[in-house]
Amino acid sequence: MFLFLQQWRAECVKLLARKRTYLGFAAFLALEAAVLSLVHIKGATYFKTLITRQGQVFDEYYSAPTLALILLMASVFLLGGIYITLVSGDIVAKENEDGHMRMLLARPISRFRLLLVKFLTCVGYTVFLVQFIAWSAFSMGLLVTGWGGGFFAFMPELGIAAFYDWSAGMGKYFTISLSLSYAMITVAGIGFMMSCMPIKPAAATIGALSYMLIDFILRNMGFMEDYKHLLFTYHIQAAGRVLAEEPQWPVIIRSFTVLGAMNLTFFMIGFGIFDSRDLKS
Amino acid sequence: MALLEVQHLTKQWKAGKLALDDVGFSVQSGEIVGLLGHNGAGKSTVMGIMLGMIHPDQGQVSIGGYSVQTQRAAALRQIGAIYEAAAFYDYLTGWQNLKALCSLSGYWDEAEARRIVKLVQLHDRIDAKTGTYSHGMRQRLALAQALLPQPKCLLLDEPTDGLDPEGITEFREFILRLRDEFGMTILLNSHLLGEVELMCDRCVILREGKKVYEGIVPGRGEKKVRYQLVSPDLQEGRVVCARLELKMDREGIVELPPPMEGHEVLRSLVEAAVRVESWRPHKQSLEELYLGMRRR
Repeated sequence: MFLFLQQWRAECVKLLARKRTYLGFAAFLALEAAVLSLVHIKGATYFKTLITRQGQVFDEYYSAPTLALILLMASVFLLGGIYITLVSGDIVAKENEDGHMRMLLARPISRFRLLLVKFLTCVGYTVFLVQFIAWSAFSMGLLVTGWGGGFFAFMPELGIAAFYDWSAGMGKYFTISLSLSYAMITVAGIGFMMSCMPIKPAAATIGALSYMLIDFILRNMGFMEDYKHLLFTYHIQAAGRVLAEEPQWPVIIRSFTVLGAMNLTFFMIGFGIFDSRDLKS
Repeated sequence: MALLEVQHLTKQWKAGKLALDDVGFSVQSGEIVGLLGHNGAGKSTVMGIMLGMIHPDQGQVSIGGYSVQTQRAAALRQIGAIYEAAAFYDYLTGWQNLKALCSLSGYWDEAEARRIVKLVQLHDRIDAKTGTYSHGMRQRLALAQALLPQPKCLLLDEPTDGLDPEGITEFREFILRLRDEFGMTILLNSHLLGEVELMCDRCVILREGKKVYEGIVPGRGEKKVRYQLVSPDLQEGRVVCARLELKMDREGIVELPPPMEGHEVLRSLVEAAVRVESWRPHKQSLEELYLGMRRR
């Protein structure tokens, strides 16, 4: 176990030493600043209407977690997905293209173990990125609205419009940051699987993005209503259900189980493809 | 005892080309063996199979008694390797690269790593990013990473490729030192015949995926005695040799079985009135052996 952690740490060091790893973080900071400015200038009226119509005090619920949630839900899937597939699409394919894989596999390590280390690095990056987005958005929200107030959790597509006081709201916000982190691992899984195929890293990233966007587009088409349980974006959306006052835990657990099974499937397909390959320049 | 055993390797690429055709050889402990062949002869494919990077269609490789195909980790624990061009993470330092690679072997001893880095003379630049390294420095770092699991055997795939003459000499001396001082077994894949001749005890020659020679490098502990006749009467000389049950090739080279000595054959040649311009011991070079194998 200690050796495995050592190998995972070495993989993380490699990932964090690359400049492109930080592209996502920089892009999100820029996006958060832009969206918050717009919401603050233009969107406050819209939120005022929403909150006051529910019989609540606008100044109380126009707070850091409320603003952060808007940002999180607007950006984490699409923009976050891009950066997660960029990193996970590279993780095997780029190493193979650059010849690093031959150096790594000249060592007494099995392909399965090496891929598991790499997959878990993608998982680590995904969790770290989503947490970064969540808490940097919250920090920016704090800059705009200051500490305190309530939390207005509003997700119309899931039928959620709930009001929480500060401490309960922070608990809910923390929970959604965790559930989204978990849900987004599936995007990394798709990127990883593509990366194991005998294709260029760019093709792996584009392949993963295409899968993600096709799934997303299909989910938004009416005729897929009966089959939406087959689409991973439907199950990712379930992450938002934790914001409800009384979350439907069976629905959430079912979706998260499906996502876990998909991750395992993507990993095993990726491993199967990679294991059957001859690695030669 | 054979540390490394290659048995009946056969590999066919998807395009239908047979890359290896029943190739087998062994490397004894403490030997330096050269793997020779033209481009596309299958040398790197053999190396790839030895490291478990290429799956053979048939046959197997065992290292220290462990099969690479079924007990890869145990087998590769015995060796260090440079396979094809050394590719390091340019955004990491030499030291970080070593650490990252060694973590995969489950082996990291800082004092030992410092010693190896000094041995390959990289101690001054080990904390610089490998993106700033020259080709020679990268090769030395590649050698350091191969030596770091304290292997019994080194597999080196074209290790002097792209090195300047000084670099090649330095590398050769280092390899010989590894064998002489540390008793290391080395399999060297190269197409530089001169290097193999200077470094290796034995060699294996591949041609179009087939093994055409496995034996000592000419001139190394060879027991056979060869003489070369220079004469305008080479045909007559050949007849005399045939009478003595010796075979003379078209260059006038004759191999004498022990205990026959050169002066006995010379006497027969002179008595048969063959005009002898020169009759002297001949040492076969690796190049002659290699080209001879190619002509077969």
